[in-house]
Amino acid sequence: MSTRISASLVVNDTGQIACMGCDHELGPKGEPWKEAAQIDEAPLKGSGGSPYSNASNILLRRFYCPGCAKLLDTETALDGDPFLNDVVNV
Amino acid sequence: MDPITFSIIRHRLYRVIDEAVITLKHVSGSAITNEGHDLMVSLYRADGSLLMGGVGFLHHLTSAAEACKAIIRRFEGRINEGDVFLTNCPYTAALHTSDVYLVAPIHYGGELVAWSACFVHVYDIGAMVPGGFSPDSRDIFTEGFSSPGLKLVDRGEMNTDIMDTLLNMVRAPEMVALDLSSMIAANNVARERMVALVKKYGPRTVDEACQLLVDQSEESFRDRLSELPDGRWESRQYFDIEDETYRVLLAMTKKDDTLTFDFTGSSEQSKYGINCAYWASWGGFFAPLFPLLCYDITWNDGVLRPISMIAPEGTIVNCTRPAPISLATVGAIQSVNNAACICISKMLSASEKYAKEATAIWHGSHFAIFMFGQNQKNQEAIGIMTETFGGAGGGRSFADGVDVGGEIPNPIGRMANVETTESHFPVRYLFRRATSDSGGPGKYRGGTSLEYAIQQHDSPDGGIHYVVSGKGTKFSMSDGLGGGHPGAPCNFRWVHNNEAAAEGKYVNPFANSAEEMTGEQESISWGVFPLMDRDVLYVRSDGGGGYGDPIERDPAKIVCDVREGAVSETVARHVYGVVLDDAGAVDKSASEEARAVIRAERLGRAEVAE
Repeated sequence: MSTRISASLVVNDTGQIACMGCDHELGPKGEPWKEAAQIDEAPLKGSGGSPYSNASNILLRRFYCPGCAKLLDTETALDGDPFLNDVVNV
Repeated sequence: MDPITFSIIRHRLYRVIDEAVITLKHVSGSAITNEGHDLMVSLYRADGSLLMGGVGFLHHLTSAAEACKAIIRRFEGRINEGDVFLTNCPYTAALHTSDVYLVAPIHYGGELVAWSACFVHVYDIGAMVPGGFSPDSRDIFTEGFSSPGLKLVDRGEMNTDIMDTLLNMVRAPEMVALDLSSMIAANNVARERMVALVKKYGPRTVDEACQLLVDQSEESFRDRLSELPDGRWESRQYFDIEDETYRVLLAMTKKDDTLTFDFTGSSEQSKYGINCAYWASWGGFFAPLFPLLCYDITWNDGVLRPISMIAPEGTIVNCTRPAPISLATVGAIQSVNNAACICISKMLSASEKYAKEATAIWHGSHFAIFMFGQNQKNQEAIGIMTETFGGAGGGRSFADGVDVGGEIPNPIGRMANVETTESHFPVRYLFRRATSDSGGPGKYRGGTSLEYAIQQHDSPDGGIHYVVSGKGTKFSMSDGLGGGHPGAPCNFRWVHNNEAAAEGKYVNPFANSAEEMTGEQESISWGVFPLMDRDVLYVRSDGGGGYGDPIERDPAKIVCDVREGAVSETVARHVYGVVLDDAGAVDKSASEEARAVIRAERLGRAEVAE
């Protein structure tokens, strides 16, 4: 039985963080998982249409499931700023 | 205590606030109060602790408690029946000098039994710039009148020396007097209704009910926290002022039935007035906490007890005097609101039971445009363009964000209609509408923002001036949740038409969109600017954050989005992977292919996977 830990992730019955869509495993529970995701880091500017008039050095980080390509999480960042890591104790 | 009496008293307390708010609005004459609902009324216990939080901007509920406590300390032994005290010092309790607290003791039988407190953003406070938002101030000394506490009404008698001194230091004193009168009236009504309540049930019974109410909130809130998983969630808010970048960093830790908000790592305090003081940050995260975690729990001191905060001194979330602070409410406080909103929502998302309560960020920028100058009636017009309260809802796990749907920190915020604004300021609107593609893409998209353009009209001085403030235009601040994208950032442009007109060039006085506006469009984000003759001010607010993966959005919703102008066909195809045919219906096979291509691109494969 899996336990939900975010809008897109669960901890599965083997204690691994996994994609809610396909159960692809991303690492042990209680640890940051983003390094194990497929990461796309691109300018936020223009990413959602012309109103995205952000400065060109502002990045949209997208973390995809390597198994099913589901978009698991996003964050806005300046180059070099660390990932936002959430740790849920289950 | 018997549950029926308890329920009646609890309900009466809320109705006391309700009636006081109505009174405040009836007396106040400013648009920011009556249209924007930039106000708050709440009840406090005899020791100043929060008893019953009311409506309006929710970060004031806790800050006004600190105002009551500061008055209790300062005026110990001199607090009498019929007194009304004023404080607006941000380093005491207020959020910025413009948000003036009037707090009043409530006595019964000679004993202090409670306090009522309220605030409005007063018409003017005597800062460098009319209206109080003062981007050029570099310390609090130039941000207007500031008092850590004074007795405005003494045993029911107005202290005219103080009132006259205060009104002597502000612009449009008649309007400021009306603001102060509205708060005195609200406190009077709160006092009269509370006294009637105590008279009916007796002071001991009411006190017992109040204590029970606080204890009940604490117990309920701790129970709720215990139901949620332990963990640590991070968020980060950026903003820019004059090319300087600021960060508010938050790590929220939940352990058993407690929550800790840690802002360690946030930027050092700024030379600009976007800083906020300790109690403002404290209130800043309660603004989303109350509605997201305590939607069915009475908002009082019991909710505060399981919470702790770490806000390093000398940072933008706990600045030290005399740092400027006049823009705190649209600056660091709003960033604290946002950071807390997303951390709380990520925690809620980790719970099967409470995931539906999570939300992406609403209206993360909360810029402010303040106008000032002579209006068409030769009156001194000062005030906010209330579109800032229009906001944009964040996407949730079951629904899109509400288009132009307000904001989390003020559940009753709203904006004036065009005609009201045009009647108060010498301006005319070229257009005002929801902005296409401004809501953060997601399975449930963020609410669209607002865009509008204005010109001066019928001004006796040939125009008017305005203050642009907030947190800049470079960053998106309405973060998405669970894979949702952030909403589009805000944007302000000074459209120069006067030189073109003087040279006989065509100037479009009826532009119906930003694209149709003639003249050079200069991006602006901070400072005081003129709006003269044929120049135009274009303003676009920020969209709400999206929720979930955009390519999981129901294509039928995209059809509606495109038809209504919320999403363009280009974004529908390339971000959502939904292709429409010539009739505007979903092209099913083309959409399936588009989504397959997007998935393949995400995984770095050039070809569509079989």
